[in-house]
Amino acid sequence: MSHRDHRTASDLTPLSPAFFHILLSLGAGERHGYAVKSEIAARTEGKLKLGPGVLYGSINKLLELGLIEEAEDRPDPHLDDERRRYYRITNYGRKVAQAEAARMSGLVQLAAATFGVPRHA
Amino acid sequence: MRDTPFSLKLYRRLLRFYPADFRANYAVPMEQEFRDELAESSGPWALTNLWIQLLADLAISIPLQLSREVSQDVRHTLRLWASRPWHTALAIAALAIGIGANTGVFSVVNALLLRSLPFRDPSRLAALNHSEFIPPHGSAKQFHDWRQQSTYFTDVALTEEFDVNLGGVRDPGRAHLAQTSWNFFSTLGTQPVLGRAFMPEEDTPGRDAIAIVGYGLWQQLFAGDRRVLGATIRVDGDPLTIVGVAPPGFDYPGGAVLWKAAKFDGEGNNGWDTVARLKPGIAWPQAREAFYAEADHLAPNRYVKRPRMTPLRDGLAGPAKNGSLMLMASVLLVLLIACTNVANLLMARTADRAAELSVRSALGASRARLAQQLLTECLLLSFVAALAGLVLAYWTTAIAVKVQPPPLAAQSYSILDGRVLAFAALASVLSSLLFGVLPSLYAGRIHTFGTRGSGQTRGSRLVRETLVAAQVMLTIILFTASVSVGRAFVRLMQTDRGFNVLGLVTVNVSLGGTTQQLTQRQLPYFEEVLARVRRLAGVRSASATEFLPLYATGFLGGPVGLDGRPAKRGAMVVPVLSGYLQTMGGRMLAGRDLTDADVHSGARVAVISEHFAAEFGGPAEVLGRQVTQGSRSLYKIIGVVQGMDYETDPSATSDRNQIFFPSHSPGGFFSTFVVRVNGRAEDRLAMVRDAIRSVDPQVPVFGVKTMAQRLAATFARPRFYSTAVQFFAAFALLLAVIGIYGIVSYAVVQRTHEMGIRMALGTTPVRLRAILLRRGLLTVAAGAIPGVAGALLSGRFLESLIEGARSVDLATSTFSVLIIALVASTSIWAATRRIAGLDIMTILRTE
Repeated sequence: MSHRDHRTASDLTPLSPAFFHILLSLGAGERHGYAVKSEIAARTEGKLKLGPGVLYGSINKLLELGLIEEAEDRPDPHLDDERRRYYRITNYGRKVAQAEAARMSGLVQLAAATFGVPRHA
Repeated sequence: MRDTPFSLKLYRRLLRFYPADFRANYAVPMEQEFRDELAESSGPWALTNLWIQLLADLAISIPLQLSREVSQDVRHTLRLWASRPWHTALAIAALAIGIGANTGVFSVVNALLLRSLPFRDPSRLAALNHSEFIPPHGSAKQFHDWRQQSTYFTDVALTEEFDVNLGGVRDPGRAHLAQTSWNFFSTLGTQPVLGRAFMPEEDTPGRDAIAIVGYGLWQQLFAGDRRVLGATIRVDGDPLTIVGVAPPGFDYPGGAVLWKAAKFDGEGNNGWDTVARLKPGIAWPQAREAFYAEADHLAPNRYVKRPRMTPLRDGLAGPAKNGSLMLMASVLLVLLIACTNVANLLMARTADRAAELSVRSALGASRARLAQQLLTECLLLSFVAALAGLVLAYWTTAIAVKVQPPPLAAQSYSILDGRVLAFAALASVLSSLLFGVLPSLYAGRIHTFGTRGSGQTRGSRLVRETLVAAQVMLTIILFTASVSVGRAFVRLMQTDRGFNVLGLVTVNVSLGGTTQQLTQRQLPYFEEVLARVRRLAGVRSASATEFLPLYATGFLGGPVGLDGRPAKRGAMVVPVLSGYLQTMGGRMLAGRDLTDADVHSGARVAVISEHFAAEFGGPAEVLGRQVTQGSRSLYKIIGVVQGMDYETDPSATSDRNQIFFPSHSPGGFFSTFVVRVNGRAEDRLAMVRDAIRSVDPQVPVFGVKTMAQRLAATFARPRFYSTAVQFFAAFALLLAVIGIYGIVSYAVVQRTHEMGIRMALGTTPVRLRAILLRRGLLTVAAGAIPGVAGALLSGRFLESLIEGARSVDLATSTFSVLIIALVASTSIWAATRRIAGLDIMTILRTE
């Protein structure tokens, strides 16, 4: 689907934390910017708070890279402000996120083997 | 919630700092998000926290997005440039020359007229030139009494500069020395870095055998050794004790490297220049008034010109001040013309790109986005031009150093100076706005009014024609200025100076401090040199003088007269050896030249100048009469010669009364051998120099130059001015021609179809070309009228700036208009040559 599909997914890894978190949020379904941001803040317990400039700068870049796209159909317009824009992850985006997750997982295994895993992480 | 409207307004305002594309895409959701955040933050603490986070966010993301979009725009611009390399190269070259010439000339203006002098409170220092006014200086006491009683100067110092022979050191040679009254350093507010300055009364006989060395000379001769204090240095043979070392870079006056306490010897010091500090609380106009009154009182009728009191900086800049200002004005015109030209080129390009811009705007690019793109193009253009211009500026500065060396080391011309670089940056940004504003407005219009493919509207043609007319106007101003300055220079060079420049070799010697200095050995030394030189092959005659023409400084004699009747002005007394007037190619009007016998016998005879003779009835009347000083007879007049230009300024009159008399003890500080040779003087330089050296290798021989070289060096500055202005005028003409050619050939392309129809209806190609020619010449005429008016106005400005430049008359302006019209017609005819080859059927078939 994406015009970037000819590139292998691992070309873009490692992803920046902001990019990865945005992809993670959109992986669960279409979201608008503010929802993405709130979800990330909740998931990281407030440690990663994306300001509007950084958030939309990242979204802009992800759009350009073809990892996400703008969703044409909105949820029920009566439920939401029509000025909001909704985004969803592309197939390519999904592959890149998977590649990133695999990379991290490898890293986690290596860390566990080296340091052991604490019971309460 | 009371803060909501204000917070929102502020945030909206801040969002404007994002680049156009980003703003167009995300300003609405970002604002929405801000509302959401605001709704969640209650209380001043939460609000403050929100703003801190937002500001940090803006600070990170605005530069990031800006750099992303600008780099996109830059890439786009570079692609555009690559598609039209000639067009781009022309625009860059025009701007580079404009910006470069401006920056280069500004670096000179900056050094001479803006940068502060390396003295304490330099704006309070005044300069008086010796040719106009010298304070009472019969003795040190007389001078110091005068200055202490001054009501408007708090301190006054005298200086006189000349070259001397240095001895008693490792590395003997020539050096530039200034003898000064004891308070010279304190007047300037300069402290020696080592030792002390001169002390009170050290400029009186018996106490004056002391000197202060320059920092460079200290390093060169003493390797920076502190034991220099108390060391002895021989200046023209006299031992002087060194008491101090001047700070690095201090070389006032005139690049001096050594300062000695002054020797006052009655009225003999004719070269005293004065530097003075105004009393606190006294303003310049007040001080000038007081000075004029005192000068008139001290020496009524003594001075030909009214003495001037100028700020020291202006005094140092001298004639370079006006010349630099004139150049600055003309390079500003050049930059304006270059901007007009580039604006025109960009207008054409924007019109050509109307289709592209329309498509982009249809695809969603906002007007702001397109304007940003065009602005980036303009800024990039002027940035590249400014870089190229800095190279040109460096080169301009290098030329300026040669033709117009800075008077002080601290005034060196440099483009690596904050003010100069700021000027270059300002010039390039302002010019990019100047040439970028029209195309941007035009692009805005395309976007607003639609997506029609053609950008050639009546309005845009009018704008472009107005630009060409403006260019024609500026070109005429520059062109007439170049004619005016060029004529002044030609007049300067064609002046009859009373001597023949060609085929004349000149060589300086100085006997100071050598074994030849003894009075009884001076004349034999000169005669031996002349005997050897006269024997050389190709030498027609040879002689020597103490003062060579073109170097008038300090040789004005006292008041003299004829048979007791005083002359209207003082005369120059010029000691010469036999055959001097003949060797110089002077024209004898009556009587004869000085001979060997006159020199040997110590005869009190003289040849006087025509101007002097004219005061007393002309050449025939004065022969045999006595030149007198007061009641004392000085010389019997045996000849009258046309007179030579000792001043370089053709309008100067202070040098017109001249007395040439036999020198019985030649060898002062400016003794010059003059040798008339067959063929090119350049080819005989080495031969003459070697012959002089062979007599006594100890005597310093320098200034081995042809008289033509001396003249060229003297007039290097006016030559540079006139060459530069002519170059700028030619450049302006070229740009105007390119502008006219561009607009006409563009019109031909745009109106091909219309012309095809006209031709089908029976109009001949020649007639069509004539129509375009008429239109083009109308544009030229529209620019010519204000151009001529501007030329007449600027002529007056020029007259006040450049000695000898006369305001252009109507004939010259008309001539320059005709030249431009002719050149324009040629370029229009060339631009329309396509029409002759048009095939009606091909054009109409495309419909």
